[in-house]
Amino acid sequence: MNKIISRMNGAQKNIKISEIPPKETTIKKASGRLAGLGLLLAVFLLWETAVYLTGTPVYLVPAPSDILAELAANLPRLLSAGLVTLAEALAGLILGSAIGLGLAVLITFWGRLEQGVMSLAILIKSTPIIAIAPILTIWLGFGHAPKVIITALLTFFPVLINALSGFRSVDTAILDYLHSLNASPQEIFSVARWPSARPYLFAALKVAAPLAMIGAVVAEWMGASSGLGRQMWLAYTNLDMPALFAAVFALTLLSTAVYQSVVLLEKRFLFWQPNS
Amino acid sequence: MIKKLFLTILTLIVLSACAPTQAETTELQPMTFMAGFKPQANLPFVGAYVAKEKGYFADEGLDVTIEHSAGGEHLQLLAAGEVQVTTQDAAVLLKRRADPGLPLVSLALIGQKGQQAFVAMADSGIDTPKDWEGHTIGFKGTPPPDLFAIMEAAGVDQDKVELVNVGFDPRVFTEGKVDVYPAFKSNEPDTIRGWGYELNMWDAADFGVPTLGLTYVTTEEMIEKNPGLLQKFMNAVMRGIKFAQENPEAAVEIVLIYAGEDADPTHMRYMLDTELTDAQSAVTDEFSLGWQTTEQWQALHDMLVRYEAIAEPIDVAAAFTTQFLGDR
Repeated sequence: MNKIISRMNGAQKNIKISEIPPKETTIKKASGRLAGLGLLLAVFLLWETAVYLTGTPVYLVPAPSDILAELAANLPRLLSAGLVTLAEALAGLILGSAIGLGLAVLITFWGRLEQGVMSLAILIKSTPIIAIAPILTIWLGFGHAPKVIITALLTFFPVLINALSGFRSVDTAILDYLHSLNASPQEIFSVARWPSARPYLFAALKVAAPLAMIGAVVAEWMGASSGLGRQMWLAYTNLDMPALFAAVFALTLLSTAVYQSVVLLEKRFLFWQPNS
Repeated sequence: MIKKLFLTILTLIVLSACAPTQAETTELQPMTFMAGFKPQANLPFVGAYVAKEKGYFADEGLDVTIEHSAGGEHLQLLAAGEVQVTTQDAAVLLKRRADPGLPLVSLALIGQKGQQAFVAMADSGIDTPKDWEGHTIGFKGTPPPDLFAIMEAAGVDQDKVELVNVGFDPRVFTEGKVDVYPAFKSNEPDTIRGWGYELNMWDAADFGVPTLGLTYVTTEEMIEKNPGLLQKFMNAVMRGIKFAQENPEAAVEIVLIYAGEDADPTHMRYMLDTELTDAQSAVTDEFSLGWQTTEQWQALHDMLVRYEAIAEPIDVAAAFTTQFLGDR
């Protein structure tokens, strides 16, 4: 059996190797980044000009220059708030991913559970977070725990769906082959299903990671003593729009960093994938 | 010929009967009032609800659309000119005038006392603010200056209390997550008592702390450009408040049109009665409902400056006007 497993792994790797596309040149990448930066600058310039020309007061829409000045002036405060949010988001993402993955494994092994688990998952997914956040605070207090749970509730679903699709996306020929070798469900899982699900899991993480940051911020917005959501709430209630947008910028930067980390991990673990 | 004349006269009579009357042809002036929270029996909201339903706005020649601000966007919409009048707590009005410098002006001070009080369970052993020491004290969003003022007036050692952001859900209090809870006087105490709890309550005003409640608010620009519209609006809403004062039961019925079928009329009545009581003071006894004086606003302002809710002193005389408060 072990020989077959190693031959299977080799066969899968051989198939993937043939799909490796030619690498992008460094120049192409650099020009792509420049174009992105140029587009961003153009949007900011347009925004700045529009605010200046229309004379829009800063408490309605701040100009990018106001936001950047605020960002520069309060960088340490925003950074420390951002770290709190990041920690809550990552904790929630890990918890949510573990739950999503665990449920997908359960369904894969015990298909009869699918209807019940999926109904429950959709029920949780469809529940507005705003409705259950106060209950979580009542149960878990005012600390970080309710924020982590809210983030986990937001992130488990994409992981569950993608993991399940991944576990089921194994080539039927490979499955038939393994069945013919009398492989156990555990062996089929570790040899065929798990490798096939890995690209799906990274796709799920790419969706769930920025979602985790938003989840943590929304949870903080509804009542917290620290974090970017708290900073945003304070800025909003004080009608301090530059501070609000500065916090949004900080969140965007952090979300991008988290997303890029997932991309890097994907490249590290799925180096044979065409998109990696 | 006679037949033609008769037909013409008949046609004219029919046409004139179909034509609108003089009153109907007079176009009502449209405007938007945005209540600063969800539909409920806050007195400035009630004034507008009654004015709309009893036809007081129409009597003044106004067609008022009543909106509600669930997310706190009412001041931005007022500043942007999307709404002409809204409601706002007096302390927040001063804070927003100070920063970011919104040109807000109070048209009438309906809440002559602050909206918030602090409550603890009657059986908690917390009988005075001095007993707060060693306990957790909640605040909604940011610690209000009147909390510090009460503690100072009652000689509470602030190092011995823990301040916690508890938000707006009183269940965190009944579930024991916080010992002293900041409650909106006209709302949450009744809700909590309705759940079967007895409460001790402390109002900053009882400790000599100057607090003020809800105002009708507009902008300096509106006052300058359209004082006539504001006068008509204020005439109608103050008439609405007088109606609510004299007919609270009928006023609650009108509130329910806006608050919906799920709203509890008994709770709405509690809210209305509490706010009607707090709408009266020595100032309103001397002048009229909604009246406001420099002394009142200055005392509130000084308290806000003292507890650093306002960074730099501002001119309170520009923050309110009594020009639209007649004898009605």
